[in-house]
Amino acid sequence: MNLRQFLARSLVVFTMLGAGTAQAEKVTIAAAADLKFAMDEIVAHFREENPRDEIEVIYGSSGKFHTQIQQGAPYDLYFSADIGFAQELVKAGHAASPVIPYAVGRIVLWSPSMDASKMTLESLADPKIARIAIANPKHAPYGKRAEEALRATRLWDKVERKLVYGENIAHTAQFVQTGNAQVGIIALSLALNPALADKGGYWLIPDNLHEPLEQGFIITKRAAGNATAKRFADYMNRKAARATMTRYGFVLPGESTGR
Amino acid sequence: MSSIEASFQLDYPGFSLDVNLRLPEKGVTALFGHSGSGKTTVLRCFAGLNRAPKGRLVVEGEVWQDEGNGRAKGIFLPTHRRPLGLVFQEASLFPHLSVRQNLEYGMKRSGNKAGDGFEASVDLLGIRPLLERGPERLSGGERQRVAIARALLTRPRLLLMDEPLAALDLKRKLEILPYLEKLHDELDIPVLYVSHAPDEVARLADHLVLMEEGKVVASGPLMETLSRADLPSAFADDAGVVLEARVEGQEADGLTRLAIPGGRLLVSRVEAEPGKTLRCRIHARDVSLALTASTDSSILNTLPARVAAVVATDTPGHVLVQLELAEGVRLLARITERSRAALGIGPGLAVVAQVKAVALLA
Amino acid sequence: MFLTDADLQSIWLTARLAGITTLILFVVGTPVAWWLARTRSPWKGPIGAVVALPLVLPPSVLGFYLLLAMGPNGPVGQMTQALGLGTLPFTFWGLVVASVFYSFPFMVQPLQNAFEAIGERPLEVAATLRASPLDAFFSVALPLAKPGFVTAGILTFAHTVGEFGVVLMIGGNIPGVTRVASVQIYDHVEALEYMDAHRLAGVMLVFSFLVLLALYAWRPNGRK
Repeated sequence: MNLRQFLARSLVVFTMLGAGTAQAEKVTIAAAADLKFAMDEIVAHFREENPRDEIEVIYGSSGKFHTQIQQGAPYDLYFSADIGFAQELVKAGHAASPVIPYAVGRIVLWSPSMDASKMTLESLADPKIARIAIANPKHAPYGKRAEEALRATRLWDKVERKLVYGENIAHTAQFVQTGNAQVGIIALSLALNPALADKGGYWLIPDNLHEPLEQGFIITKRAAGNATAKRFADYMNRKAARATMTRYGFVLPGESTGR
Repeated sequence: MSSIEASFQLDYPGFSLDVNLRLPEKGVTALFGHSGSGKTTVLRCFAGLNRAPKGRLVVEGEVWQDEGNGRAKGIFLPTHRRPLGLVFQEASLFPHLSVRQNLEYGMKRSGNKAGDGFEASVDLLGIRPLLERGPERLSGGERQRVAIARALLTRPRLLLMDEPLAALDLKRKLEILPYLEKLHDELDIPVLYVSHAPDEVARLADHLVLMEEGKVVASGPLMETLSRADLPSAFADDAGVVLEARVEGQEADGLTRLAIPGGRLLVSRVEAEPGKTLRCRIHARDVSLALTASTDSSILNTLPARVAAVVATDTPGHVLVQLELAEGVRLLARITERSRAALGIGPGLAVVAQVKAVALLA
Repeated sequence: MFLTDADLQSIWLTARLAGITTLILFVVGTPVAWWLARTRSPWKGPIGAVVALPLVLPPSVLGFYLLLAMGPNGPVGQMTQALGLGTLPFTFWGLVVASVFYSFPFMVQPLQNAFEAIGERPLEVAATLRASPLDAFFSVALPLAKPGFVTAGILTFAHTVGEFGVVLMIGGNIPGVTRVASVQIYDHVEALEYMDAHRLAGVMLVFSFLVLLALYAWRPNGRK
């Protein structure tokens, strides 16, 4: 589970901190779970270009990382699926950079067992669908947007009984992938991943049904002066990285909402 | 005519058992042997707690186990289906039940709901004041008395006792022995009593089965079996006979006069009515031999006897002499080989047995 | 009351889950513990190890496999569907099944120890007093193992209350159905509602302490 991995890894990081500051060029990225596949690819490319830089990525829920950075967690870059979390950190003085918007996320209906591409949100009221997975709207940005879309279409009251809540968007996808929920509202970036795209299909939920999923990242205060962190932040704006993000279904800042 | 027939063969690593027994329908049969001789295993086979694969056990015509003759389906009654009572070596009362509840446990399950014999058993074993107590507040001897009463109240057709006194100290043993003797006198069911204590056997048993290394080496009525001179060497060091003696009268000088078949014995004062029968034990090592009756010896008890047999013992230089008193009663005497040669002792010789000590058992 | 209705609901749900799990485990765990305590079978080792697995397995592993097994394509899911029960994940009874697995060793091991401590003798005695094996089990083994049952019950209940990872994996976080107290606390923390988290966590802390206190207070008696 994410939490467990996170704890294990943060222990390692803490141990290193205690050992000294000789590894100043090492960078740890805390990234929202929807970035999982896109970020892996970007980091792989970055490593090829910068073989000396040590980079580690931890995926999890944006809200949790937000709390942890406030409590001094050793992350150098923070990619939040909700730009609001990043902005709060800047206000609270935990950042060494302004908030840099990096993408706008999209949500989709996805199912491995049914052809979701022919569905709409209204299909969710169908009694044949017994379980619908969404991320927990209480703290997961994708969950908030899913709730907004369901409320905008006046479906919330009809489907609320069927909802099951994933801890983050990856956990939500897992509920659907294992067939325990027939349909899920997940990130487009996950639905486009080969592992999920093989099965079933997805339907893009119109973005006028919910607030934009603006996403932004910051360099944290502890990484001020960390050259590797700066290099990676710049790399995110390079053509290769932007192409990867687009391929995984993220709309980039300054580009029109396509697809 | 035996009422109990038993035949058990067992092979455990390092130990094998092979016994065939016929036990009388009444009285106490002592299963005597040193530790490791297999006597407890035999008792457990009787109870069905151990299962000899080809065993056979018939009690008063009722087959409890018969798996020995190659029939497709043998008979093996599980323990709880056998109408027997078993008293274990150590206290085995249920700690979560009071004494009364312990007694009732077996009564209820053996169809004795009315409590037949409850009052009699409680009085026989002297446990009336203990009924409402918990087992943890009883002494070791009291616990065993309760355990015996509990076994009797299931109205068993066979009572098994596995060294019931072995875990008790001498004081507790002496406290409980009279109860066992009463039991012996009043019980009309067969009792199989496992022991490795010769005194207990001599006091309580009517029949004796001697066991060694998983085999029966001698079996028969107690007195006859004990007086055999050809017992295995393991028992020879403790050899001795048990005699029934009748109290004849009290002497003025503080002694008691007993009559035994073929003679008289004077012993320290015994408070008993004339005519009462007592058991006494005479060890072979307490008997010496003379060719003529002497009047210049401190030994009071001398009995005319005839040598029946002479056998060697395990102790170098010693022999065991079997003597025949009048009326077929026997004594054993242990003497040195040198004395035997000097006196020319051999079968048929008339001698005088000098008895140095007599142990009264009851 | 300083707890919200949602908090109270999660506490009640947790208590119900732990109570039902404990009751089921008394019934299911007792024969297993009895068998483990008395068997001479070569399977004793492997079965004992399987029973102890949840002690070492991360709850995420257990939760993941339960999610797969109880899902519509898993063997358990196929069975429950064939029986017309639907699938178990995201249901209260799914949590009960998961908790039964998760807390199994906490029931079986204290019971097994208690049964082993009784030994053969009291049961042999019972047999010589005409008690059938089943009768002897209820009239002798159970009363003698009572301290073990108390320990096992308390441990199982407390361990189920403390369950988090498995519930998160297969529960789906549904209010009143699968959102137990530990998940509710987690949600409060995630949503930065620290005061709510403190209140509920405080209740859990006091509860856990009382349970352990009860356990240690009981034990000296039980060991007599």
